[in-house]
Amino acid sequence: MTALPEQRRALVIEDDPDIRSLLVQILTMQGFEVTEAGTAREGLAAARFGADLITLDLNLPDGDGVDVCREVRTYSDAHILMITARTDEIERLTGLETGADDYISKPFSPRELVARINSLFRRQRSRAAQDEANADEQRRASTVQHSLLPIGTPRVDNYDLAGRFRPSRSVGGDFYDWYSTANGLHLTVADAMGKGMGAALIAATVRAVMRSASEQPSLPDAFANAARALEVDLEKAASFVTLFHGRLDTATDVLEYVDAGHGLALKVSANGTCTRLGSGGPPLGAWTDGQWSTGSVRLDPGDYLAVISDGLLDIYETVEAFTDAMTSVIQASSTPDDACQRLLDLADDPAISDDVTVVILKHLAAGRP
Amino acid sequence: MQFSTEHKTDYTEVAGNGRLNMVAAPKLREVVQEAVSAGYKRIVVNLAETSFMDSSGLGALIGCLKLARQAGGDLRIACVQPQVLMVLELTSMNRVLTPHPTAEEAFSHD
Repeated sequence: MTALPEQRRALVIEDDPDIRSLLVQILTMQGFEVTEAGTAREGLAAARFGADLITLDLNLPDGDGVDVCREVRTYSDAHILMITARTDEIERLTGLETGADDYISKPFSPRELVARINSLFRRQRSRAAQDEANADEQRRASTVQHSLLPIGTPRVDNYDLAGRFRPSRSVGGDFYDWYSTANGLHLTVADAMGKGMGAALIAATVRAVMRSASEQPSLPDAFANAARALEVDLEKAASFVTLFHGRLDTATDVLEYVDAGHGLALKVSANGTCTRLGSGGPPLGAWTDGQWSTGSVRLDPGDYLAVISDGLLDIYETVEAFTDAMTSVIQASSTPDDACQRLLDLADDPAISDDVTVVILKHLAAGRP
Repeated sequence: MQFSTEHKTDYTEVAGNGRLNMVAAPKLREVVQEAVSAGYKRIVVNLAETSFMDSSGLGALIGCLKLARQAGGDLRIACVQPQVLMVLELTSMNRVLTPHPTAEEAFSHD
């Protein structure tokens, strides 16, 4: 954000075709590459592709411009110029936390509009130093968060393991963790409420507490202790965490697990049948007298265990459609790493605005290295 | 997302239309907080027009439920749409936030 990009991009969200074409014309003359949207829905979708400037009409046929503005602000740092039909609206709007950078009322002259836009971009330059410092901090936070993910995969006889984490912003509320133990492997996938820095702080705390519980031989005891330790902090932060924690015993090929409100762990058998393991209690911190049942699942040679965060669920209408899609991707892949990559590719959908995490464990078929 | 509050004979109905996400969650908390502070402790959140809820939205519902119960009342949900129901079931929170078919029925069996 230090220098102006060569081609500035603008998005015009306006339902009146005449005003829209006027705006497009003015912005094109100013050197913008312009995208148009006639409804709130189209505008929200188009904004995800990135823009340096958004002109936003307050009254859209399918939504309130203020809501659109707030929503866009959750994922975009574009300059937003709100356009209203009435001058007296502006006073009301400036009193609200809309996230807009400036307001202009109809009718406006092209000169007035251009002056407002230039002023927005001038302000940007003076903010650039501050932005640079913030961006630097975000980068460091992102580096720290990635350093908390496991490095490489532990060697577990007859098993292959892979994981991916893609935050929706520089940092996110998801994490995964694994480590080998004397009997096999422990793995955790968790998703803290919300997104961004706040969620990331919670995620780091949960990871540390779960790690410290790893020494306890009994899974239900280890989990209950971890839950108690976290409950107080989560309550104070008005947050909660969905979490899947499993312990694999390679002597029996049984994975014992606790699912706290996560609900998206799947066993995909070698023959293609998929079983969703389902949650055994509420998310951590969501409810004080939470009780969690322990489940177990056997992984035969060729079977996969996939634990996926709900970010990927957002593009499917139902859980069934989700499990079907996950199953066919996993079956078509050659290794857990390949499966993770393919699942993350699915997440390249503009409809996904949440963090996405995938962990896949495979019991290798006998005779394979 | 806009919320409306309507005081009925034996409960207060809060309805919201749109997506209950990170943006709308604080608004819902605010609306319910206001009702509970004014002494309306039996809250029904009508979700007929709520097409989508994410984890922040669920967090707001849980927070509002805690708020109502701490005040000696309760919060219940009605007219839950498929995606919201899916989130409640996946997280097992349907055991605490049990969906009721209509707002009228939410407190009718007490």
